[in-house]
Amino acid sequence: MSTASGANLNKVYSDAPSALTDLSDGASLLIAGFAGHGEPEDLLGAVITSGVRGLTVISQGAGAPGSGGTDLNRLVDAGAVRKLISPLPFNPHQGGAIRERWEGGELELEVQPAGVLTERIRAGGAGIGGFFLPSGAGTRFAEGREIRQFNGREHIFQPALKADFALLRAAFSDTLGNLVYAGTRRNLNPIMAMAAKVSIVEVDEIREPGGLDPELVITPAIFVQRIVLTKNRHHSV
Amino acid sequence: MPGQRLDSTSMARRAAQEIRAGAAVAIGSGLPTALPGVVPAGSGVWFLSENGAIGFRPSAEGLFVDSSGNPAEVIPGGAVVGVADLAAMLAGGNVGLALVEAGQVSAAGDFVHWTTAETPGLSAPGFAVDMASGARRVVAIMRHTSDDGAQRILEHCDLPIDGNRCVSLIVTDVAAIRVTDGGLELAEVAPGWTSDDIAAITAAPLSVASDLSEMTFAVPDLSWPNKVYDSASQALGDVPDGAIVNVDGFGGPGGMAHYLMTALRDHGAQGLTIISNTAGIARVARFGAPEGVTPIDHTILVDNGQVAKAIASYPVSPSINRPSAFERAYQEGESDLEVSPQGTLAERLRSGGAGVAAFYTPTAAGTLLGEGKELREIDGRPYVLEQRILADFCIIRGHKADTLGNMVYKGTSRNFNPVMATSARVTVVEVDEIVEPGELDPEEIVTPGVFVNRIVKRPAEFSPYLEI
Repeated sequence: MSTASGANLNKVYSDAPSALTDLSDGASLLIAGFAGHGEPEDLLGAVITSGVRGLTVISQGAGAPGSGGTDLNRLVDAGAVRKLISPLPFNPHQGGAIRERWEGGELELEVQPAGVLTERIRAGGAGIGGFFLPSGAGTRFAEGREIRQFNGREHIFQPALKADFALLRAAFSDTLGNLVYAGTRRNLNPIMAMAAKVSIVEVDEIREPGGLDPELVITPAIFVQRIVLTKNRHHSV
Repeated sequence: MPGQRLDSTSMARRAAQEIRAGAAVAIGSGLPTALPGVVPAGSGVWFLSENGAIGFRPSAEGLFVDSSGNPAEVIPGGAVVGVADLAAMLAGGNVGLALVEAGQVSAAGDFVHWTTAETPGLSAPGFAVDMASGARRVVAIMRHTSDDGAQRILEHCDLPIDGNRCVSLIVTDVAAIRVTDGGLELAEVAPGWTSDDIAAITAAPLSVASDLSEMTFAVPDLSWPNKVYDSASQALGDVPDGAIVNVDGFGGPGGMAHYLMTALRDHGAQGLTIISNTAGIARVARFGAPEGVTPIDHTILVDNGQVAKAIASYPVSPSINRPSAFERAYQEGESDLEVSPQGTLAERLRSGGAGVAAFYTPTAAGTLLGEGKELREIDGRPYVLEQRILADFCIIRGHKADTLGNMVYKGTSRNFNPVMATSARVTVVEVDEIVEPGELDPEEIVTPGVFVNRIVKRPAEFSPYLEI
């Protein structure tokens, strides 16, 4: 790969810890994955071993506790998380660290409807300040919120949501950070990549520029700052 | 002694009778996840999973998971999208039916999600709240009473509600109950149950339908409705005067729906509002058109006196000496014009498709294009309020579509098309090639068929140029 300008364009880091050295206490993190499927496990492991505290985590949801992978449950269990914003913080049929810490008052939970949360993240990534959406009007999710009528219907004002870091999981990257996902592991990755100051992706394979069909790239490299080759490839495809 | 209570499979089979062929059906966590397993493979329905599969079925080998985390695979004719696109599909009104598991339902059709009922002070609704607001029809599936015998169908819910007046039918393990303006109406009872048995375990007034019947469990045959039209003229025959129409195109002649544009001209509908990035620039700039011909673009609609208004980011000619047809029509008072910055135009279209009524953007704040619009300071910066665009029709060009309307583009012809497809009531596409469901890789589909209503094949010999 040639860098004509001589600028340091290297986005590929040797491992997950080296890509997270500037993560500090109190940071906000967007974490991709869906209920224990497709989490960036190396990156989550590196967050745990870094010993940071007081994180605000935005995630679609935690999977079953004790499922074996390095997931949101482990991150919370390690005491790294102060607040979790999620539509599915835990399954009521299952216990686990998230429920225990919430019940013990050590973890703040903010439940948001999944569509509202994703739209807020997308707005954050698209430079939108906030928007009016009818989802949740007339329910507890409207309490204390700014309500306005549009087209004969109540809409709730939703502020955009952004974060310091996004931890992503993709199948393929090129060295510039163009990303392709696999199956429903795409989930929240594309919008989270847009909405963070620093987006870090864990991938199964890193290719040279040109190694991915431009028509099939889902996340353009502009949104990706750091790339790590996963050590958990067996989990991902 | 009443009959047995139905198991989750029987409840799913009864609920499946509510599916209309060709619909997108949102599947919430819990009991609804049984539905894809009771509908035969090949049925004309897209089940949506909460993590971005459009059209899935259970499969132990699948790489996907359903809303409850069970393994699944994408069906032939399905597509993979991100969760944000799924949210947009739901809030934008493209989902015909949503199935949620309720912990409580009120006489007015409010519901409490099962997770709320099981975890006081918290919940895990996932997409259930969005389904309640966005789906055209909501069916609640639930056990009629709780394990300890507590009533769950109530005059008013006594837990915080997740959906407001949205449930139209309740399928329980003993009955099917309609929610009507006049309250709850018992429509069907499970085998061995009587209307008195049901009333005794229902804590809301319950009328009995004149056509009360026993629940049945046959799953209907669902065939995909035909979306393929023989010609562009047939596909646009019902465009009314005064329609708002999204029209694709980005400057040059490549990737414009020339075939549909020509049919719209021949159809002759008057007073159209055209939503487009340009309002006829290819004709002026020519973009390399050969001698003796001129590119087909929006100009043919303007020249035919059909355009009352354009909403565009680049409506006028780059050269003052060569005004566009639209520019002339505007200056002569024949057409109205609303200029929207290009990014704002795209975002307004996306909002129309995603159920967003209006949004704040910093773009154009403090400029001419921000004048007269509501301002709000966010993080110390001025933002202007911009309104959604939602059209009646959309005409766009794609590269390939399957017969269900799943579509891929080629090169810059993608431009505004994916957002335009989502923000119209009727989306009509012209493509170079129509293939069978399953021939397009679900990962590569850019516009899912859920958004596409009509498909025409652009004749191979169709010329993007007119003789001059």
